[in-house]
Amino acid sequence: MERIFAGEGIDCQSLCRLAGIGRGTGVGYMPIFGEASEAEVTRAILAGFTKDLGEYASTEVIIVGGGPSGLTAARELALNGVRNVVIERNNYIGGGFWIGGYLMNTVTLRSPAQKYLDEIGCPYKKYSENLYVTPGPHACSKLIAAAMDAGAKIQNMTSFEDIVLREKNRVAGVVINWTPVQALPHEITCVDPIALECELVIDATGHDAYVIQALEKRGLAKRIGEGGMWIEKSEDAVVEHTGIAYPGVVVAGMSVCSTYGLPRMGPTFGAMLLSGKRAAEVALKELGRKPKKK
Amino acid sequence: MRKSSASRGRGIQRVLTPQIYISSPCSKAVNPRRQRRQNTASAGDESADWDIPRIAYLYTDSTATTLRLDEVMAFLRDVLGLRCDLRKDFFSHHGGRDHEALARAIAASRVRNILRPFEPMEPLYGEIHFEHRLLEDPSKRVPGILYDAFRYTALMRDLLPPEERSFRVLHIAFEHRILGTFDEDGRYHARAVVCAYPSAVSTSSIVEGPAKPDAYYRVKAQLAMALGAVPFDAAKQPFTGQFIDYDDPRLTEVAKGYALQAATYHITKEAFCTDPACRLFNAHRQSELLHAQLESGKLCARHETMATAIRAASRARKD
Repeated sequence: MERIFAGEGIDCQSLCRLAGIGRGTGVGYMPIFGEASEAEVTRAILAGFTKDLGEYASTEVIIVGGGPSGLTAARELALNGVRNVVIERNNYIGGGFWIGGYLMNTVTLRSPAQKYLDEIGCPYKKYSENLYVTPGPHACSKLIAAAMDAGAKIQNMTSFEDIVLREKNRVAGVVINWTPVQALPHEITCVDPIALECELVIDATGHDAYVIQALEKRGLAKRIGEGGMWIEKSEDAVVEHTGIAYPGVVVAGMSVCSTYGLPRMGPTFGAMLLSGKRAAEVALKELGRKPKKK
Repeated sequence: MRKSSASRGRGIQRVLTPQIYISSPCSKAVNPRRQRRQNTASAGDESADWDIPRIAYLYTDSTATTLRLDEVMAFLRDVLGLRCDLRKDFFSHHGGRDHEALARAIAASRVRNILRPFEPMEPLYGEIHFEHRLLEDPSKRVPGILYDAFRYTALMRDLLPPEERSFRVLHIAFEHRILGTFDEDGRYHARAVVCAYPSAVSTSSIVEGPAKPDAYYRVKAQLAMALGAVPFDAAKQPFTGQFIDYDDPRLTEVAKGYALQAATYHITKEAFCTDPACRLFNAHRQSELLHAQLESGKLCARHETMATAIRAASRARKD
């Protein structure tokens, strides 16, 4: 097959028959894809994007940060019928979940977090009693797919800039901008951000806790910073502290450590998944919604 | 207020150290004879200044599944002749109904930076909620947070009813929270027992405070490097039995020794012994703890004499 080309002594229709890809067009090339003009492609991108943006310009929950805790929260909320969008400043989603410690792409989870991998259909192996390992790329891509399959929306290459405050200083949205805008000198760019409204913001921005930082700058909240201890069962403390940190704001994942000064844990992802799950539970309660039975 | 002078163990990646702390904010104000009692040679000379309680209340730690306080009470009765009574956990017993205010006060006693002396700070919204949840469900054990032992025991003392706030009543609260004090070396240290009024024995600090074998920290560091996580169970496995773990079946026996230290301090204002085989020894390492509390399991000759005298004085009490 690979030695036969259109225009080299065989007509297109014969070629297509040989290749088993339907009828040829008789114009001298293989029609693998249907026709679409450049303008139509552009319109499709615009239509899809503006439809999504229009939907989450006002939504129920905005999750800032597309790492494991943010994605888990997004999936859980979507499964419960809560409209939500994940704001991620990078092009790639998943945060640190792609790799484990020391740039090695095996990630570890302590029980019972492996049960969540069961839920999203990600295989794993038992390393020792209570400790499980899985390839980071597999787990991360499964989690992204699971969140989107459930109905979560993702807005990547978008940076969180600020919070929207309403009466009694309750957080009621976020201000966002394209990530590349931040990388350009201020003198040559003047791109105003836009604001998205919501009922609840989940800060899943990791060690930086950007949403809490934004509140801190206004003197509305405080961040303790991560503690120096490294003791057993620290992961429990992260999950247990996941919740409302300020009216309208739930903290999840490593933002919890940073907000409350909890021990650093290293790259153990069990707490991130369970913290995301807890954040969704808290959000459901705040929204006055009952969790659906799975 | 004084501290033990024994050297401290050091371990890789271990910030919490095991030194036990003696604090007596109440006794200093109430009993000025305290200073001249210390370091005296004979138990008989001191007995006149002892504060023998009419009753000892022990408060349970609902999270410690292997802690049998009835055995601890029997031990205190046998050794010191104390009349003991068991109560539910301290905050359930004395905390009242206003859990919101109590949660705020407990959260305010958190240590924010283990490398700096305690700095008062308004607790965060989420911290108060977290403490509130723990008060609502005392069986929930969530270590990982260090509380300032001075503030914490002061808070407990404020909750005691006036009729129970005297040297005639001994309170020993078993706690799951990790309590610590700031030391001269410029950082906080977890304390297995905080001898104060009331005294607190932290079941989590018994695990996290005294240093485990040095090799354990090396194995833990190696596994953490290789796996990117801290596989505590895998790291502990080669050292099984060499330290007290969470839900350790030996916890009750160890708790007896710490309860004895708290009770002895209450009575004599002297909690520690320099003899490594005495149950009043201030253990900085798990190996020392196991030796003093389990392998030896006895008091030294001097403290045995003292305990006999306390026992006799306790039984002679009319009230």
